[in-house]
Amino acid sequence: MSPQNKVAAKAVSETQLVRRAQKGDEEAFASLFEAHKRRVYSLCLRMTGNTAEAEDLTQEAFLQLFRKISTFRGESAFSTWLHRLAVNVVLMHLRKKGLQQISLDEPETSQEEPVKRDYGDDDRRLLGSVDRIGLEKAIAELPQGYRTVFVLHDVEGYEHNEIAEIMNCSVGNSKSQLHKARLKLREWLREDRRRTQPQSLATSASPQDER
Amino acid sequence: MANEGLLRTDECRRFDAELGPYLEGEGRPFVPAHATQCRFCEVVLADLEAIRSAGRALPLEGPSPAVWANVRANLRAEGIIHEPVSLWQQWLGSNGFLRTHAPLGALTALLVFAVVLLNTSRRPPHSPGTDFAGGEKVVSASIGLPDQQQLETTLLELETSFRAREATLDPALKAAYIRGLESLNESIRECSESVRRQPENTLARQYLLSAYTQKAEILETALEFDAH
Repeated sequence: MSPQNKVAAKAVSETQLVRRAQKGDEEAFASLFEAHKRRVYSLCLRMTGNTAEAEDLTQEAFLQLFRKISTFRGESAFSTWLHRLAVNVVLMHLRKKGLQQISLDEPETSQEEPVKRDYGDDDRRLLGSVDRIGLEKAIAELPQGYRTVFVLHDVEGYEHNEIAEIMNCSVGNSKSQLHKARLKLREWLREDRRRTQPQSLATSASPQDER
Repeated sequence: MANEGLLRTDECRRFDAELGPYLEGEGRPFVPAHATQCRFCEVVLADLEAIRSAGRALPLEGPSPAVWANVRANLRAEGIIHEPVSLWQQWLGSNGFLRTHAPLGALTALLVFAVVLLNTSRRPPHSPGTDFAGGEKVVSASIGLPDQQQLETTLLELETSFRAREATLDPALKAAYIRGLESLNESIRECSESVRRQPENTLARQYLLSAYTQKAEILETALEFDAH
């Protein structure tokens, strides 16, 4: 089966599942949950950085979705609907917790913050060596505003105009926050690498500084 | 090139300013051009591109099974999920009698025990029609077991499933289920014998049907409990 046909078959199958779920069919609910649980949970986990919260939010997202499933008319893809709903559930949770410390409406400052550079360290770039665990850890350390935009854009694949709509901010702010988030991640990943691979510093003993 | 990289230049500042827009797809040819001239800016660009790619490639993780269990329990409690329809319930669904006469079914369940007691004590058969004439009249038009074979097959399937899983039940619970099933088997045997002796006795057939119903319900409850 060609990739296009597979996609079409999946969409048809999902439409049938949604119709069955709209009639209260438990198997259909279970299949829809099974098909989407990983993406929803991963989104919740990366946006909160906490497994218990992520499970609670995954549960809440699916419950809200299934309660409204009778209203789903198929104007958009089911997965789009679900993931947007999950994002809203997480954002609502974060706002309730008061964690939205970094507003996306803060003034543009990226040009005021110089990129940190390590002199004599040019041969130890991250290229090709960003390990998954290190990145997950660094994402969890990001300030909430940076983390949200990074996860939505670089992990989940949302466009800046969609993020701006979800976060109620400008496209420019979304781009700016994303760039700052990437710079922060780079800084931490390099620090982490220095800590875990100190022996490699022996080849680059020249002073480290910022421009 | 090495010496150039150690110096902070106006070009590096411009690179910093244009790096974000460049990574977002805006046409900033200065950025890659400068990166080929400055070793440090080259590393910065390569790092950020690597981070962007790594973000897209992060694997998905799954929640624990408890999440679906909670979702399912909530949906059931709210009536959004309908209970799965078993073979037994399908059979009942095709037989409109029990579906619409549940209270009468409960009453007849009590009567089963009365019949069993009467037969056990070998007292002369008591005509329930005298006590429950109204009930008998109501059900007389639809009484009978036209699909008895199918019914017994369904019960056999349920019983086989129960036997296959009974080892996983709590011993005390298992003993209670088995006692209940034995009692119902005895009732079924007694009622079947009555029906065999008096095929025109519609009330005896009703008792038999009720005993089958109870047995199926007990088996389903046991299977559902086990599944949980």
